[in-house]
Amino acid sequence: MTEKMIQFQNVEKYYGDFHALKDINIDINAGETVVLIGPSGSGKSTLIRTINGLEDINSGKLIVDGYDLASPQTDINKIRKNVGMVFQHFNLYENKSTLENIMLAPRIVLKRDEKENHDIAMSLLEKVGLADKSANMPSELSGGQKQRVAIARSLAMQPKALLFDEPTSALDPEMIGDVLDVMRDIAKDSNMTMLVVTHEMNFAKAVADRVVFMADGQILEDSKTEDFFKKPKSERAQQFISQIEHH
Amino acid sequence: MSIAMTLASTIEAFNYYNLRYLFIGLLYTLSVSVISIALSFVFGSIFGIIVYEKIPYFSRWVSIAVDIVRNLPLLLIIFFMYFALPNIGVHLSIFWASIAAFTFFESAMVSEIVRGGIMAVDKGQFEGARANGLTNAQTMFRIVLPQAYKKIVPPLVSQFISLVKDTSLATGIVLPELMYRGQIIYGQNSNYMIPVFIMLAIIYFVVNFGLSLISKRIEKNLA
Repeated sequence: MTEKMIQFQNVEKYYGDFHALKDINIDINAGETVVLIGPSGSGKSTLIRTINGLEDINSGKLIVDGYDLASPQTDINKIRKNVGMVFQHFNLYENKSTLENIMLAPRIVLKRDEKENHDIAMSLLEKVGLADKSANMPSELSGGQKQRVAIARSLAMQPKALLFDEPTSALDPEMIGDVLDVMRDIAKDSNMTMLVVTHEMNFAKAVADRVVFMADGQILEDSKTEDFFKKPKSERAQQFISQIEHH
Repeated sequence: MSIAMTLASTIEAFNYYNLRYLFIGLLYTLSVSVISIALSFVFGSIFGIIVYEKIPYFSRWVSIAVDIVRNLPLLLIIFFMYFALPNIGVHLSIFWASIAAFTFFESAMVSEIVRGGIMAVDKGQFEGARANGLTNAQTMFRIVLPQAYKKIVPPLVSQFISLVKDTSLATGIVLPELMYRGQIIYGQNSNYMIPVFIMLAIIYFVVNFGLSLISKRIEKNLA
């Protein structure tokens, strides 16, 4: 499979004077799982957020699922239908129950039949191990449970790609495992494209096809997972890995 | 005047005719209040959303208009609606001129409360919904506004309590509401003055305290 899901070509992004993304060039193929790592402030989150238009780019070309994001003709909602996102702080709808969180977008965006919608939502809740929480409000869930509901909410749209922006960074240590297990299951599905910003190196080693290392708004390294962890090419990456692993 | 006489006139003041006369005044006060509250809730929400959304030019003008109206005395607006509008060919009855004035003024106040409520909703709620495929409008009406309204129940109810009290200003254009009718009663017999003021105070208090109880109820239910 060589169909390209996400393509960055010479992408630049500024926040005022701050140069957040510098000449980003990267392709992510359909079905691939790519982990994006790097020190904080390196532009990882900015990069992942440009993919579904939560951040605009200033120049260059960004093509997602065949749509050119910089083109004014592109309807960003069409991309978002096919590209899900999981956030560090979950962002569940606070005014909706767990089940409604999952069913809302398929109902009003995809116009999915109500019974089918309910069945899909319930099976997703089972998949993430929270079928018994369907009637609960987000405020009644733990962080780890919220994140699993958020993943189920994204999956309910049956997207082609899923973006994860530090999905376990806000979780208590004992909650992280459950969330990573769910993500591992998704990664096994060969049709799903996944881009994950994370500091979980064991997760990266276990599921990533490729590791991309960023620092200061640049991509310093883009390697096969085994190669990257055996010996990162750049000194920055070597430093970063040793820091994290001796932590 | 002796205390005994005051007491006697107090009891006399609470006669059937006076009470009935004031009751009809209360109905005016309530109907002007309820209609103005409903209208200003709708218009205030629309203006609040428009200003929040920062639509080029449009939002700016609405925002300027809101600032102007908020800083005018309500009595000026009431007089304008009743005395000035006829000069440009718009003739409103006292009843509708009052409602127009209160709606005009309160919409400006409510719009700022609504805008504040929207701003108080976590930015993540917008991003979560947009990333989930919802349009801007769907995000606003299904996710953000319900949460914003929940946050603004207390200031909104305070605003509406002010409105109920401010309807007494329509006495200035002879709207036969509570305050006006009170004046008529003690105008005929100045011994009734103190009892009438006491009655008016009790009625306004009961209505407004009732409103604040409803507010607490709503807050509890939404929590």
